[in-house]
Amino acid sequence: MANPKIPEFKADWKEGEEGRWGMAIDMDLCTGCQACVAACSMENNVPFVGEEMSGYGRQMAWLRVERLWEGEYPEVKMTPFQPVMCQQCGSAPCEPVCPVFATVHSQVEQLNLQVYNRCVGTRYCANNCPYVVRVFNWADYDRPEPLPNQFNPDVTVRRRGVMEKCTFCIQRIHKAEDQAKSEGREVVDGEVAPACAQACPADAIVFGRMDDPESRVSKLSKDGRAVHLLEELGTNPRVAYLKGGSNGNLG
Amino acid sequence: MQKIFELLKKPGIQLALLVVILVMVSGAVGLFYFQTQVPPAQPIQFPHNIHIGLQIQCLYCHPGAWRQASAGLPTQQKCWACHGQLKKYWQPEVPVAQWPVELQKLRGFVESNKPIEWVPVYQVPDFVHFNHRPHIAAGVNCENCHGDMSKKTVATVEETVNMGWCLKCHMERTQDDPEKRIKLIDCGTCHY
Amino acid sequence: MTNKLSRRDFLKLASLGAATSAVLTGCGPASRYVTREPYTKMPEYNYNGQSTYFATTCRECAAGCGLVVRTMQGRALKAEGNKHNPVNLGKTCARGQATLHGMYNPDRVQSPLKQARGNNPTDTDWDTAISIVAEALNNPADTAFLMGLAPDHLFDLVTDLCKAIGAPAPIRYGALGMFEARATLGEASRAVFARPDMLFFDIANADTVISFGANFLETWVSPVAYTRGYSQMRRGPGGKRGRLIQIEPRLSQTAAKADEWLPGAPGSEGLVAVALGKLYAEKKFGSAPTAFEAADINLAAEASGIPLEKLEHLADLLAEAEHPLVIPGGATLAQENGLETAKAILTLNALLDNPGKPGGVYFTPANPLSNKYQRAATANEMAEFIGKMNSGAIKTLFVHGVNPVFELPKSLGFEAALAKVGQVISFATFPDETAMLADYILPDHHGLESWGYQRVVTGTGQSMVSGAQPSVAPFYNTRATADVLLAAATKAGGKAAAALPFKDEVEFIQDKVSVLVGAEGGFYNAADLPAFWALFQQFGGWWKNDSSLGVPPQTANAISKELKVSAAKPEGEGEFHLFVYPSPILAEAGANKPWLQETPDPTTTVMWNSWIEINPVTAEELGVEDDDVVTVESAFGVVEVTVYKYPAIRPDVVAIPFGQGHTAYGRYAENRGVNPANLFGTTTNGAGDLAFAGMKVKIQKTGKKRPLSRLESKLGVYGIGMSEEH
Repeated sequence: MANPKIPEFKADWKEGEEGRWGMAIDMDLCTGCQACVAACSMENNVPFVGEEMSGYGRQMAWLRVERLWEGEYPEVKMTPFQPVMCQQCGSAPCEPVCPVFATVHSQVEQLNLQVYNRCVGTRYCANNCPYVVRVFNWADYDRPEPLPNQFNPDVTVRRRGVMEKCTFCIQRIHKAEDQAKSEGREVVDGEVAPACAQACPADAIVFGRMDDPESRVSKLSKDGRAVHLLEELGTNPRVAYLKGGSNGNLG
Repeated sequence: MQKIFELLKKPGIQLALLVVILVMVSGAVGLFYFQTQVPPAQPIQFPHNIHIGLQIQCLYCHPGAWRQASAGLPTQQKCWACHGQLKKYWQPEVPVAQWPVELQKLRGFVESNKPIEWVPVYQVPDFVHFNHRPHIAAGVNCENCHGDMSKKTVATVEETVNMGWCLKCHMERTQDDPEKRIKLIDCGTCHY
Repeated sequence: MTNKLSRRDFLKLASLGAATSAVLTGCGPASRYVTREPYTKMPEYNYNGQSTYFATTCRECAAGCGLVVRTMQGRALKAEGNKHNPVNLGKTCARGQATLHGMYNPDRVQSPLKQARGNNPTDTDWDTAISIVAEALNNPADTAFLMGLAPDHLFDLVTDLCKAIGAPAPIRYGALGMFEARATLGEASRAVFARPDMLFFDIANADTVISFGANFLETWVSPVAYTRGYSQMRRGPGGKRGRLIQIEPRLSQTAAKADEWLPGAPGSEGLVAVALGKLYAEKKFGSAPTAFEAADINLAAEASGIPLEKLEHLADLLAEAEHPLVIPGGATLAQENGLETAKAILTLNALLDNPGKPGGVYFTPANPLSNKYQRAATANEMAEFIGKMNSGAIKTLFVHGVNPVFELPKSLGFEAALAKVGQVISFATFPDETAMLADYILPDHHGLESWGYQRVVTGTGQSMVSGAQPSVAPFYNTRATADVLLAAATKAGGKAAAALPFKDEVEFIQDKVSVLVGAEGGFYNAADLPAFWALFQQFGGWWKNDSSLGVPPQTANAISKELKVSAAKPEGEGEFHLFVYPSPILAEAGANKPWLQETPDPTTTVMWNSWIEINPVTAEELGVEDDDVVTVESAFGVVEVTVYKYPAIRPDVVAIPFGQGHTAYGRYAENRGVNPANLFGTTTNGAGDLAFAGMKVKIQKTGKKRPLSRLESKLGVYGIGMSEEH
C-alpha cells in the first residue's frame, strides 16, 4: 500500500484545508516534565484510576508524553519526548464510525467533538483512532470528598461508559471568543492557551489560530522542521511536531 | 436463548411484559412533563410581581445576565439593602409579628446571618454549558424564556427546557444567516 | 452526570418508573434540582459564576515559583503560573499543578490532635494547644525547632523568637537539599570564589553546557527556571542552538534531553573535570595552569569509563564554545570526595573564564529581606542534632514543613532519637511519619490557605521576595503556625512577648516587608504600607526590575591553586553502585497526591510504585526479568523492590527513585513502594553532606513477582510503537 488513504467521508473537507485552531510542539524543547499532563488533568476534571487500573492501560489522561529507546548500551538513545493528544484531525477516522453521532466534527471550531450525553460507549471511535488518544471511562472513578471541590465547572464531569479525549480546552476557546465578541473584535493570537501550553515550562507547546497566516502557530506549522503524526493516513492532523534542532524560530 | 423464546410464548408473561412497558412509558411521559420541570419549594415565596410593579429591573437582582454565563441569585445583602430601610416598616418601626410572612422569613435569614438557599428554577444538566450574555446581546429578552414575571410570584418553568426548545429558537432566528446557523446548531457550542 | 448510580440501581429505578424520564431526555435523573449555598454577603470582587484569581507562592518545593490560583465561589479550581514572578514567568511544573490535590486531600489533619506518639489520637482545642506551646517557650534552653527547606516568613519568625528567648536557632532540613548537596556547593564556592553562596548557573546564555549529573530539568534547585534557561539555550541568540552534554551513571530525564550522554562511573567526576581542564588549557593556551597541571587523563578515562577520544572531543567542544559552562549536580557531589569534585568543577568554570559573564556562573543576588544566604543543615549537622536529641537535652521538639522520619537516612537514627525527646509537637498539615510519632499535631493551613512570603534563593537574577496570600478560606479547623506561635509568645509573656508584639501573622509579615516600602528599582513602587501591601498581594511578591547577580572575583587566583582530586572510595560491600535520585514527579513530598502518583515517570513511565533500574545485560546475568522482585542490601538496610530493565544505565550501577515508601502520609502514599533512603550510610564529604551516591549494594533474586503499572505497556516498548490496543 503506497499511500493508504481513509476514504473521504466528509464532503466539505478539502485537501490542504488548514482548520481553525492548531498546535505546534517543539520536540527539541520538550523536556518530558509532565507539567502538561498534570495541567490538562486539573483543568479538565480527568479522574485518576489507581495502580491496578492504570496497569491495564486504563489511565485517563488526555495527553501522554511518549518516548522510545533506540540502540543498546552504551550507544543507547531515547527518542525525543513527544506529547501526544487528540490531533483534532481535519478528516478524523473516529467520526464516521460512531453509530450515535457522539463523535462529530465541529464546523465552527474545526475540532473533533465528543458529545458526552450522546455517547453510549461502543468504543468504535477509540478503536479507529490511529493515535490511541481516546480514553474510556471503564468505571465511575472514586474521587473521595473533598477532592471534588476542585472540579472545573466549565467542563462536564464524565460518568461511566463515556468516551473522552482532548478538546483543545474548548471551554477556554469559548471564553476567549465570548470575550472578544462582547468587545466587538476577533480573538487575537496568544489570547487562548490550553492548559498544557499555559503550563509548559520550556514553552514547547504553541497554540493559536491556523486560519491566520501571521499567527505563531501557522508559521511554525509551515516550518521546515514540522511533521505531522501518521500524515500518510490522510487524517489531516492539526498538531505539528517540530523535530530536530531548533533554529531559534520560536523566539 | 431458546429458553427465553419459550418463556415469551406464554400469554401470562406477554401480558406482564405489556403492563411493564405501559407503566414505563406512561411514567416516563408523565414525569417528563411534570417532575423534571417542577422545582422544589423556595425558602421564601418571593413575589416577583410586586417588585416588577415597583419598576425594579430584572438586572438589578440578576446582574450577571448581561455580561456572563450565570444571571446570579441575590444574596440577603441585596434584599436587605432596600428592606432594611423601607419607611413602611421602619419609620416608625413596626413589630416583626405584623410584617408580611415572607418578609419575616427574610428578616430571620438576616438576623441569623444564614444564606438564603434559593432554588434555581431554569436548570440545565451539567453537560450543557449555557451562557446568558450572548442571548441578551442577541436581543432576546428575559420574558422570552422566563415568561411574564410581572404576573407571577415565585418563578416557574414556563417552557419545556430541552434541546428541542433551544434548537427551535436557534433555527428560527438564523433563518437568513447560514453562517450563524452553523455556529448555533454546532454540538460544541453547548456540549463540552 | 456527577451523581453515582450503578447500572443495576438505574434499571431498578427505571422499572419503577421513577427515573424513566431520564431514558427519554438523556439527562441525569435525581440531581436535576439542587439548592445552592450562596453567600450571605457577596464579596464585592466576586461575581456569580465568575472566577477570582489570587497570586500566591507554590509551596511544593523551595524554589518559590509564583502561582495564580483560580477560585470560584470560595473553591480553588486550578493553580496556574504567575506570569509576573521572575522565577517561573507564568509556568509551572507537574507538582505545582497538583498542589490542589494536597489541599483538598481526604486525608489531611482536620483539627488539633493530642496523641501519645501516634496512639489514641483525641481532638483538642486551640486554647489548650497554645498553652502547651507557651509552656515550652518558657523553657527555651530545652526547646528546638526543626523546619523545612524554604526560607519563609515562619523561619524568620522562629529565628526572631528563638533569639529573643535564648533558644537554639531553628534548624532547616529537606531531602531535596540533601540530594542537591547544597552545602558542598557553598563550601566549594567559598574555596574557589571566596564566598559561600548559592550559585546561579546562566544556562540560558551558554552555548555549550557540560552537566555533571545536575538534574536541572527535574528537581534541581529551581527546575522551572532552569527549564526555561534550557529552552532559551536551545533557541540560542541568533538561532544558534546550544549544546548540552550530561555525564552521569544513568540516563536521567535531563540526560535524555542532552545531545550526548556519557555514562561516567560514580565518584570519577572530579577526575574527569580536571582532565577536561588540562586538555582544554593545552588546546587553548598551550599549557595548563597549576590547578590542572597534575591531572592524569588516562586515569580519568579509566576510572570513569569514558574513552580518551570522548574526553578530547569534549575539550574540543569547550574550546570551540563562546560561552561554555560546567555544572556540578547533587549526586556528583554526594561522594566521599564530593567537596574536591565541586572545587574541581568550579575551578574548571574559572578556567573557562565564565564567572560573572553571560552564560557563566554567578552569585545569586542578595535578598531584599536578608543579605545572608542561609543554607539548610547538612547530614553532619543533622547527626549532631540527633545526638543532642539522644542525650535527652531536648525536652520539646517543634517540627514544621519537614518529615525527617521519612526524609532523613534511617542510618542517622532520627526515629529512635525521637523517643528520647520529652515532647514532640508537629505542625504538619498532613499525617506524615513524623507527625504520627508526635504528642501533638497542631495542623498549619495548607499553603494555598495561608499568608506568607518566601525569600527566593536562586532561579532568577532579580532580587526578590515571593508573596503568599490565602486563595480560599481554610477548609478545616487548622491554624497558621505563625499565629499559634504569636499567641503562645503573648501567653508566655516576658521576652517572647516583647520580641513579637504582633496581633497576627499578617502584622508580622507586614512588619518584615515594610523595609521595601519606597524601595527603589522595584517592579512597583508604593509610598506607604497599605498601598505596598495591596500591590504585594496583587502581584504575588516584590522584586527588582534589573538583574543584580553577584560577580565572582577574578579567576586568575582560582586556577593557580592546586587541586587534589582522586577517585571516590565507595562505602560498603557489594557488586553494584547504588544511585538514588529524587523522583522527577513526586520529589520528596508528592506521594500523597493521587494525580502525581498516576503521572508516569518521564523515563520509565512507571506509575504508583517504586522500581529498581538494572541494565538489561546485568539483569540477564542476575537471572531477573521485568517485574521480578529483588532484595537490595547495604550495610545499613534492606529493601525489596521490583526490577525495571533500564536500557540506559551502567551495568555496575543500579538506580532507585526516592519519593515512595511511606508508612503514613495518607491513603495514596501509604505502603506503596520503597524508601531507598533506608539504604543510605553515614559517610559524609568534606562539607558535611551525606555521601549517598557512594554506596555499594548487593542484589538478590527473591523469586517473587510484582508487576509495575507502566504507561509504555499501553504503547509498546523498545521501538514497537503504538501498535498494541489499549
